[in-house]
Amino acid sequence: MHTFYGYRRPQGLPGVRNLVAIIPSVFCANTVVKRIVQQVAGTIELTHPVGCSQVGLDLELTAKALKGVSRHPNFYGVVVVGLGCERFRAKELADSIAATGKPVEMLVIQEEGDTQQAIVKGVLLAQKLVKQAAKQQKEEFPLSELCLGLKCGGTDATSGIAANPVLGWVTDQIVAEGGSAMLTEVTELIGAEHVLARRAVTPQVGEKILETVHNMENKLKVGTAHCDLQNRSALISPGNEDGGVTTVVEKALGGIHKGGTGPITGVLAYGEPLVEHGLYILDCPGHDGEAVTGLAASGCQVVVFTTGRGTPTGFPGVPVIKITGNASTYERMKFNLDFNAGEIIDKGLSIPKVGAGLLKTVIETASGVPTKAEIGLHDELFCITRSYGG
Amino acid sequence: MLTALCIDPRDNVAVLLREVRKGEDVLVNMKTGTVHLKAQSDIPFGHKIAVTTLSVSEPIIKYGEEIGNAKTLIQPGEWVHLKNVICERGRED
Repeated sequence: MHTFYGYRRPQGLPGVRNLVAIIPSVFCANTVVKRIVQQVAGTIELTHPVGCSQVGLDLELTAKALKGVSRHPNFYGVVVVGLGCERFRAKELADSIAATGKPVEMLVIQEEGDTQQAIVKGVLLAQKLVKQAAKQQKEEFPLSELCLGLKCGGTDATSGIAANPVLGWVTDQIVAEGGSAMLTEVTELIGAEHVLARRAVTPQVGEKILETVHNMENKLKVGTAHCDLQNRSALISPGNEDGGVTTVVEKALGGIHKGGTGPITGVLAYGEPLVEHGLYILDCPGHDGEAVTGLAASGCQVVVFTTGRGTPTGFPGVPVIKITGNASTYERMKFNLDFNAGEIIDKGLSIPKVGAGLLKTVIETASGVPTKAEIGLHDELFCITRSYGG
Repeated sequence: MLTALCIDPRDNVAVLLREVRKGEDVLVNMKTGTVHLKAQSDIPFGHKIAVTTLSVSEPIIKYGEEIGNAKTLIQPGEWVHLKNVICERGRED
């Protein structure tokens, strides 16, 4: 059995980082948040473009994402910054964080006077939380306390034969030790849903998998129906095609290898945390940022991201491990990529042999070793998914 | 060493493990053992090569599952990609 060193939280899974998050309830507070983070080491910003002039499902998705990410175990505590007149209130966010027992502070710009006064107060609140966070010691946890987010992007043909099967091997090991993992990118499960449904723990979960993928496909059909938009309708990117991926189904069948071979416990809605441990499908589109944000909002402490073409992105406060099955991509993008699975192709190494190395990297990352994306200060992946009635 | 990988015994295409030139001998692992194909064109690394003759609309099988259908007659050794494969799911045209 494997273990990692993390930070115990008042409830739920332990954190693998111990940061203080500064989060705006609305984009109008973004600059105040940035100024606070610039002045307080140990904090990270989760700025975003939403929180007002939204209605219905769209506003609810924003609320779920902000609440989920704010409650993330990698954050010791949170400072919520509101403007005052926004649709998604700072107090609703702060109350949701406080309900988990996590330390939270809140300030509202219009109540403080102006942004300058808000920054001064925010810096003091953040400083207090950072000092508290530093007093917490790491503890040893079994792998059953880890939830791994599974993601791919910049797929090429090596993803399906090297990087994804290696990640799938790691997923199987973690789930076998009582841990959890989440597959998502439902737009990129199209054509592979029957394979996933066969692995469902119950017929009901199987039906739910089929329904989730079909709902996403129907939304895409609406979005691409107009003939003027046909040249914007491709479900796979030019980079995927250049890399040897011909159809969306081929991409999906390669992509689901990330989820290993074990039973699928359930389907989670966007922003929904897991209750029982196991392998889940999270209902979220395939956009890299939206998907990793969804994984973070559902509580994945570490994300493993496979890439054939090579991508540098990261998520604030959540380590994103980059793995490629393409040895030449690894050589070219060494500053950005953490793990080379290309030896399966170049040297004929077995998936378990390379997988054991990736599992070691996951455990080291969970115990505090920074990823290349963290070292490079990459934080592009915080993107809240939207709905315009589709 | 293999030039192309047939991932599942049901597959009728293999993935090239390196770039090949037209006329080059391509070694693929098949149910019946290693077979030799002749590349019908230059084919890039990671792309697919047909290992059997595929008639029009015949399913293209990779990972043991259908990834699309043949748009034209495809001969063994041919590059299998956008010009000769059609997929009803997520169709672009």
